[in-house]
Amino acid sequence: MTHSKTKMTAEAVVKVLARRRTNQVVVSTMTIMAPWGKEATTERDLRCVGFMGGASTIGLGVALAKPEVPVWILDGDGSLAMQLGSLLTIANAQPANFIHIVFNNGVYDTSGAQPTLARDAMSFADMAKSAGYSDTYTFNDIETLDSAFDELMEAEGPILVELMTSPIGKGYVAPTHPETEPTPALALNWPKVRQALL
Amino acid sequence: MSDIASGIPAETLFNAIRQNNFTDVVAVPDTHVRTLITLLTETEDIRFIQTATEDEAVTLAAGLIIGGRKPLIQIQHAGLYACVNHLRGIGIDGQFPLVFMIGLLGRDPSKTPRDNFGSMVKYAEPLLEALEIPWYLLDTATDMPLFDEACQKAEAQNSPVAILIGEATV
Repeated sequence: MTHSKTKMTAEAVVKVLARRRTNQVVVSTMTIMAPWGKEATTERDLRCVGFMGGASTIGLGVALAKPEVPVWILDGDGSLAMQLGSLLTIANAQPANFIHIVFNNGVYDTSGAQPTLARDAMSFADMAKSAGYSDTYTFNDIETLDSAFDELMEAEGPILVELMTSPIGKGYVAPTHPETEPTPALALNWPKVRQALL
Repeated sequence: MSDIASGIPAETLFNAIRQNNFTDVVAVPDTHVRTLITLLTETEDIRFIQTATEDEAVTLAAGLIIGGRKPLIQIQHAGLYACVNHLRGIGIDGQFPLVFMIGLLGRDPSKTPRDNFGSMVKYAEPLLEALEIPWYLLDTATDMPLFDEACQKAEAQNSPVAILIGEATV
């Protein structure tokens, strides 16, 4: 699967997902956080920055704690590459309520679009299938994704959906430096999600 | 020199885990506490979840907490070094009450951990102090009240704590 065939934008994918958003806990990370935040965030959203690759196993913990709640992970190719072992951990746990969506745009978008390693040679879907995910899917165009996603949501997890997308192209935005120490975003965020799940 | 640390029975630690109401143990296998791992994998009332890396143990435990469970993280000192950024980003910045149980594999039981020659043993306590994470050393079974104290500290402060297992469990 090469990136020269890419037809989808991340923004278009987010709209497809947002139309199906109901009670899912959604764990997003890095580049995809901004477009997702504009479309479909609820009190069941967790946003992960500062520990690349950790979004999927945070979601795994939620999925194991709340097997009746569907969990979506909005992951990136660079992030997943940093924690490939998580594919084994997730496959071993076999959470039926778990959809791992990987936006594979072939670059480290926030740091200047440097290429990800082996981007035209490997497939995250193949890796996940080999690790023991229940099923995996790869999509190149938005129409096929849109028509398949309802059925895919009914599949027994864990499943991995690899989306060949184009880079968003928005780089790193330096944080402001306030006079007093702010509470980190995750510390504010997770108690609200926990409360929503009670 | 006589030993200052001796192996704590696995049953003693298992009972402490149960009495502190842990629902899950998230672990990377550790030679140091293998007798405890055997007990944990044989019980059904505490779920044993194995991860490929210590980074994943940290994030998975955080997810369990969000979902209303109470996990214990069981790793080795080398795993502590491996997961420092996740420990910082999740445990410290995220303000999760993460309780780590860390085996000091290879520790010379006649010396305090920081007086050991081996870097894996001697840097564990200083690293935790650098991260401002409270640590509790269990050298013998008489130190077990520290286990309860550590768990209470994590809950009270919404922050990580570390329970160091000074000698291999028996």
